[in-house]
Amino acid sequence: MRNALSTSLIAAAKRDERVVVLTGDHGYSLFAPYLKECPDQFINCGIAEQNMVSVAAGLAKSGFRPVVYALSAFVPNRVFEQIKLDICYEELPVLLIGDGAGVVYSTLGSCHHNTEDISALRALPEMRILSPGDAFEVTAALDLAFATGAPTYLRMGKGDLGPVHSSSLQLQWGELVPVKRGAGELALIATGAMLSSTLELSNQFDGVSVWSAPCLKPLKAASLLRAVEPHQVVATLEEHNILGGLGGIVTEILSEHRPLPVCRIGIPDRYSKMTGSYNYLMKEHQLDFDSKLTRLKGFMQQHGFLKKAG
Amino acid sequence: MAYAASTNHIACAFSMVEMLSVLYRHHLRLGDACNDPSRDCLIVSKGHAVMAQYACLYELGWLEDAALKNYLKDGTELTGECDAHVPGLEVSSGSLGHGFNVGIGMALAMKRQKTDRRVYAILGDGECNEGSIWEGLLFASQQKLSNLLVIVDANGFQGLGRTSSILNLESLEAKFTAFGFETLTVNGHDIIALNEAIAQLVASSHPGPRAIIAQTIKGYGVSFMQDDNAWHYKSLTKETYEAALKEIETS
Repeated sequence: MRNALSTSLIAAAKRDERVVVLTGDHGYSLFAPYLKECPDQFINCGIAEQNMVSVAAGLAKSGFRPVVYALSAFVPNRVFEQIKLDICYEELPVLLIGDGAGVVYSTLGSCHHNTEDISALRALPEMRILSPGDAFEVTAALDLAFATGAPTYLRMGKGDLGPVHSSSLQLQWGELVPVKRGAGELALIATGAMLSSTLELSNQFDGVSVWSAPCLKPLKAASLLRAVEPHQVVATLEEHNILGGLGGIVTEILSEHRPLPVCRIGIPDRYSKMTGSYNYLMKEHQLDFDSKLTRLKGFMQQHGFLKKAG
Repeated sequence: MAYAASTNHIACAFSMVEMLSVLYRHHLRLGDACNDPSRDCLIVSKGHAVMAQYACLYELGWLEDAALKNYLKDGTELTGECDAHVPGLEVSSGSLGHGFNVGIGMALAMKRQKTDRRVYAILGDGECNEGSIWEGLLFASQQKLSNLLVIVDANGFQGLGRTSSILNLESLEAKFTAFGFETLTVNGHDIIALNEAIAQLVASSHPGPRAIIAQTIKGYGVSFMQDDNAWHYKSLTKETYEAALKEIETS
């Protein structure tokens, strides 16, 4: 995913001289190829994120197309007010890329984890949120963001989980992307790093549909209703707090248009208690394969769709 | 305007009247309209003092009489803090430590576009409590933004008292100099001194940004408001309005 990000940024900068990448002293290996190709369209703003985001707004007001890159624990979290007032209120074409979202920087602890960015940014009018689930979605998400030129946050989660789609695709604002179609009881909707494991999980149930949600804001009600049309229950999967993220978005829309039981699988509104690897933390937050399977089976049984074993 | 809207922040506006006057009359190259793409930009980062800037926009013909008369009435456009949606205002700066940094981005853009446009930014001294200001000073210096001139309206007060008793900023001149700014300190109510200092700094060959520490008096121009921090929050009554007007008209 990071290669796709690098390639897309280089292509965008070469295509459009207004593109300028700002980093908060992050991206050690990521930017090596970019710096070779586009050294004049790169500014390391230092470990000073508040200034960096406001400077991006000033550049955008003056005709540039800034791309702000930082770890997602800092952009957006540390600079929420700059995003609100300097970028969104003025509807400026600034693309914010928050890398390492979720618990990717597992052993670094809560300071480097970010499970609240979607929820926080959703409440900002004019803000658009992208959360790609594989390298193809990264490329498509960046194409969409550059073509639109609006306040946009691109959430980069764990990037080495492999491809889900088999070829390049185009994204549209507000639209879910089909991964697997079925007509059974269950629809699975996943975003970001949860996408590939969701596909794996889907093999445990009959007739399940899998949808990717690379575009979290806006998410069109019509797209969601089409996605769940043949199904009776829905589960959302995200490496984000279950409050206000994909699960929140889906339940908000369905409650208004077609109330269905929704199982929100995500970080259960808590910080990581112990230190450990990414896979360890997935277990701690009950986001590993077995925990998710158990949870989903229980949810199906609760709604009368799976018979209890034995 | 302040009386009609019975609003506060009057003293905060009064301390920067002279610097606005000197900038608008002698230094800002504004072009043909408030959004002229070749204009110099004035950032009033201490956005709560916006009333003084509204008066300037009115003098420039960019604000209608009615806009001032109906200030803060329901359904009107002018807000109590500087708001970029108002034509002629560059930034939304009511939250302190924002406008300055957006202005730095604008100055950087002007430089990268190889224009001779300039950014003038008025900061409050209380505003310099904000960490983003110091991030911006480092960045402006690093980027050698010689087209950026900062004026600190150093009226010595902030919300709840004297700046020296809350988060002491002295010496502002030494701090700005240490951050790589060519810095002068002047009496911020002396129009001639301000004008000369700005002209000198604009003409200077210093490779980095410039700053003026403008020593001012909060509420300057009205004897009973001067150096009395109550007028950060107090609104005018009929009596104080008439007394203030009399003093200003006869000064």
